[in-house]
Amino acid sequence: MTTFDLFLQQVINGLSLGAMYALLALGFTLVYGILELINFSHFNVFMVGSFIALWTLQQFGLSGQETILVGLPLAGVLLAAFAVTMLATGAIGVGIERFLLRPLRNVKGPAAMITTIGVSYILFNLILLTVGADSKNFPNPLPPLAFAVGGAVLRLREVLIWIVATLLMLALTFFVQRTKLGKAMRATAQDPEAARMMGVEVDRVIMTAFFLGSALAGASGLIFGLYYNFTSYLIGFNAGLRGFTAAVLGGIGNVPGAMLGGVIIGLVEAIGGQLIGTAWADVIIFAILVLVLVFRPAGLLGRLAPDRS
Amino acid sequence: MITRRFAIQATAGLVATGPAFAADRVVKVGLDLSFTGADATDATRTANGGILAFEEANSGHEVPGIIFQLQKYDDGSATAGQYDPAQAATNARRMVSDRAIVAALGPQMSGAGKAMAPILSAGNLAIVTPVATNPDITDPKFAALYRPAGRAIFFRTVATDAYQGPNMANYLAQALKVNSVYVLDDSGAYGVGLADAFQKQAGRIGVRLLGRDRLDPKAADYAAVLTKIRSLDPQALYYGGVAQAAVKLAKQAYEIIPNVIKAGGDGVQSADLLAGAGFPAVEGWYATIAAAHVTGDPKLAAFSQRYLERFRLQPDDYAVTCYVGARVIIQAVKDLLAQHREITRDAMRDAIQGVQLPDSLLGPIAFDANGDLRNQVISVFQIRKDPTRPLDSPNDQYHYVGVAPAA
Repeated sequence: MTTFDLFLQQVINGLSLGAMYALLALGFTLVYGILELINFSHFNVFMVGSFIALWTLQQFGLSGQETILVGLPLAGVLLAAFAVTMLATGAIGVGIERFLLRPLRNVKGPAAMITTIGVSYILFNLILLTVGADSKNFPNPLPPLAFAVGGAVLRLREVLIWIVATLLMLALTFFVQRTKLGKAMRATAQDPEAARMMGVEVDRVIMTAFFLGSALAGASGLIFGLYYNFTSYLIGFNAGLRGFTAAVLGGIGNVPGAMLGGVIIGLVEAIGGQLIGTAWADVIIFAILVLVLVFRPAGLLGRLAPDRS
Repeated sequence: MITRRFAIQATAGLVATGPAFAADRVVKVGLDLSFTGADATDATRTANGGILAFEEANSGHEVPGIIFQLQKYDDGSATAGQYDPAQAATNARRMVSDRAIVAALGPQMSGAGKAMAPILSAGNLAIVTPVATNPDITDPKFAALYRPAGRAIFFRTVATDAYQGPNMANYLAQALKVNSVYVLDDSGAYGVGLADAFQKQAGRIGVRLLGRDRLDPKAADYAAVLTKIRSLDPQALYYGGVAQAAVKLAKQAYEIIPNVIKAGGDGVQSADLLAGAGFPAVEGWYATIAAAHVTGDPKLAAFSQRYLERFRLQPDDYAVTCYVGARVIIQAVKDLLAQHREITRDAMRDAIQGVQLPDSLLGPIAFDANGDLRNQVISVFQIRKDPTRPLDSPNDQYHYVGVAPAA
């Protein structure tokens, strides 16, 4: 394997990680953009999503690594798994907003943020106590197709992850830019008071942001499972922290920024690990975050947050 | 796995080991393993070995006038996802402060052992580990750290990684003709120590070291380091560590470096690895057990049968070492009674130090002055799929391939 092939392989690895982090970052950014709230329950909504995906795939009789699907059955199973997982985690997000955060909306200070940390731990322990602490085998129904790209290997799994992540991000961009509700979201992000005066139903907008963000976390959880073929109650913290970092790096509240941040962090993790040592990947990621925040406090693409003046 | 039965036992804190008569003296024994986290299934299998030994001693009235009672402690924590040294230290303090406890079994993890040993030493409470293999804990070089009170309190019914790592390096070089290797560890006390010991011996016998890296057991992605390993093309990969990182490593290594020989220590001899990574990813992995693997011994077959009947579970090798560890404690009590001595912590420590079990399930057991076994044997196993048997049962899927040659 030449140095260039190695680099190419790490780029492929990094882009797959990046796609996952970007989907997670979007959830942080959507909520922050509208409420200026860092939603830490997102970490474990993602983790719960991977378990919902696991149970959904098990309903189709998939359990170990041995059943491989092709063609229409594969597309159908994946579509159903994405739909069920995203609806379920979306509903969890809406529930968290409606019952736990809305009553706190006018409470000043960090009460809402602390609540999201609490919710995160509740989800974490709920899964720990119900499914146990060991890593669970996640079915891998994808055919083991691989393409040679120079000396590097590109697997079907990676291509699929890129396609799904790109489609979801395009759909989100379309939603935010082109639909009425999306416009209402942008208006609320700019100035909630003015938006309310113009007849925007702010409650509905906030609920939509939670639904979309949590649904994307669910998609990310399913992608995680398909990519790594395992899940565990522990996965939320590491991936969530990187997703959050991606959102801040790109400029929190900024949708394209979250995508860019996710891809950058994925690439840094893969290539930094190669050049310096895997144990240092976290150090490199967070050093870059600190540097960016020192020189560009609003993140790479700038921050879009409510104007509270 | 947290079963309902275990949850109830854990809440109650005590494992019933038979009825106590008014005249009987209760001898309380602490049992600390990692019941929460990535090694939980293995912990239960191991613990059952000890539970069985004490239950048999109680129901057979083996030691007249004595009822053994086990007090369970869990050093795993939800936030660590595996053993947690801080929790282990807390458990050691709780054991020491319970005056009724005169000896202990455990821990499973060397990282936990390192946290517990100084506290137990100060409390003069002897512990017999059926699993923890890091050599530092019993090494006189580190006596100030792990037995500040002076005398050995950490005894083992397993060999140490001072044998496990090096002997496996010899096995890879001699039996599998490996001449280049990449070494990984999982950042834990056990994993780092094991990988270091392996690496040192590999260098000594001329196996080329192509690199060494450290895995974060909580991270999900090891593709970056595995891609690096692929580019270096070693003949073998040696992993020092336990199940949490191993599950992910096995899965990703199967795809990225399928043709590299993969080996590890007793941390990859694990039901949690079989269940979490599964076939085909785990196929072909080599693992070791830091104890003799006695095959074809009728005593062992009888033990397996009793264990299976009692727990509806196949015992693994560390269920055997835990059973033997419990037998050491029972024998120490018997020896004290025979000498008409009081059963105190101090007396128990001396009695354990002097215990001789010439005919245990592991062969002859006796300890040196540091608490290590006099007779250290490393057994090598390989995972080969037996589709006719349960796929997550270590007994059925790990096949004994021989003894790793001593350095």
